[in-house]
Amino acid sequence: MTNETSFTGMEMDMDRALVMQIKAGNKKALGQLVERHKKQAFQIALGLVGNKDDAYDISQEAFLRVYRSAKTFDEKQPFLPWFYTIIANLCRSALRRRTTSKKRNVNVDDVSYMLVSDDDPEGALIKRETIARLRQGLRELPFADREIISLQHFREMSYDEIAALLGIPRGTVMSRLYYARKKLAAIMLEKEGQ
Amino acid sequence: MEKRIKEMLAGYVDGELSEDERMAFELELQRDPELRSELEEFKRLKEVTGMMHYADLPDEVWESYWQSLYRKTERGIGWILLSVGAIFLLCFGLWQALTQFYLDPDVSLFVKMGVSAAGAGLIVLLVSLIRERLFAYHRDRYKEVKK
Repeated sequence: MTNETSFTGMEMDMDRALVMQIKAGNKKALGQLVERHKKQAFQIALGLVGNKDDAYDISQEAFLRVYRSAKTFDEKQPFLPWFYTIIANLCRSALRRRTTSKKRNVNVDDVSYMLVSDDDPEGALIKRETIARLRQGLRELPFADREIISLQHFREMSYDEIAALLGIPRGTVMSRLYYARKKLAAIMLEKEGQ
Repeated sequence: MEKRIKEMLAGYVDGELSEDERMAFELELQRDPELRSELEEFKRLKEVTGMMHYADLPDEVWESYWQSLYRKTERGIGWILLSVGAIFLLCFGLWQALTQFYLDPDVSLFVKMGVSAAGAGLIVLLVSLIRERLFAYHRDRYKEVKK
């Protein structure tokens, strides 16, 4: 997860070596690991929780957990799936807390977490409603569906990379994507009719 | 429509099918209008998501990211030590209060009640203040940015 999520052998070895140094109490190694993965950690969390403030907190907490739990890291395993599981678990907890916050009428929606890449302002204006429906649709998707859509559509990861990250077979990535997209399209269609 | 072919639709849209899979899928596509309709639906979805990207944080936040995290790692140790020390002191204080003040027959009950109420009030106010401060701190995303 440097600039792009990287699964090359050299990158994985470097991450593993850094975690082993953290395990030995080297804080500088944590700093290096943070520099390598901070933006991607934030973006992954952002895709799952849809809120910049929460995503920032989660990304920091995820690194703290790496620091505190480095002793439990299995050096034979790659770092990224382990790190991703930490982020995803923190996101699940944040979403559970958000449900409680919503019950207390605290505003947790952050429409600015997703931006339009379109350079054409007129085109962007026309598509505004579609994009609003997409945001709503993503928010209403179950966690597992939002996760797979986020990784493929917005992180632009290949099926092999997603499979390695989530620890699932490549065929499962394809079928999960199919059903997640069907759900998202159905929600967006429903919103269009409202 | 066969389940496997349906699921291949995702791979087809993303260009993730092998050559054999792609040919098999395209053959089915020619035969099945429902599959063609689903393909169009998926293409539209890809087009919409393709126009979007996740927001980033200001450079200042990224520059101070590590400093903020580093402080948190230090704070963890600090909080543990502080908590352990506070528990010891609290236990000692309570024991002293009980033996030296509350069990002293020379101190009137009226004074004991007054001290108890004032102490309880102080604790409630302190806890409330700390909770408010922590809540505000956790919601201030730009606390590391110089204003």
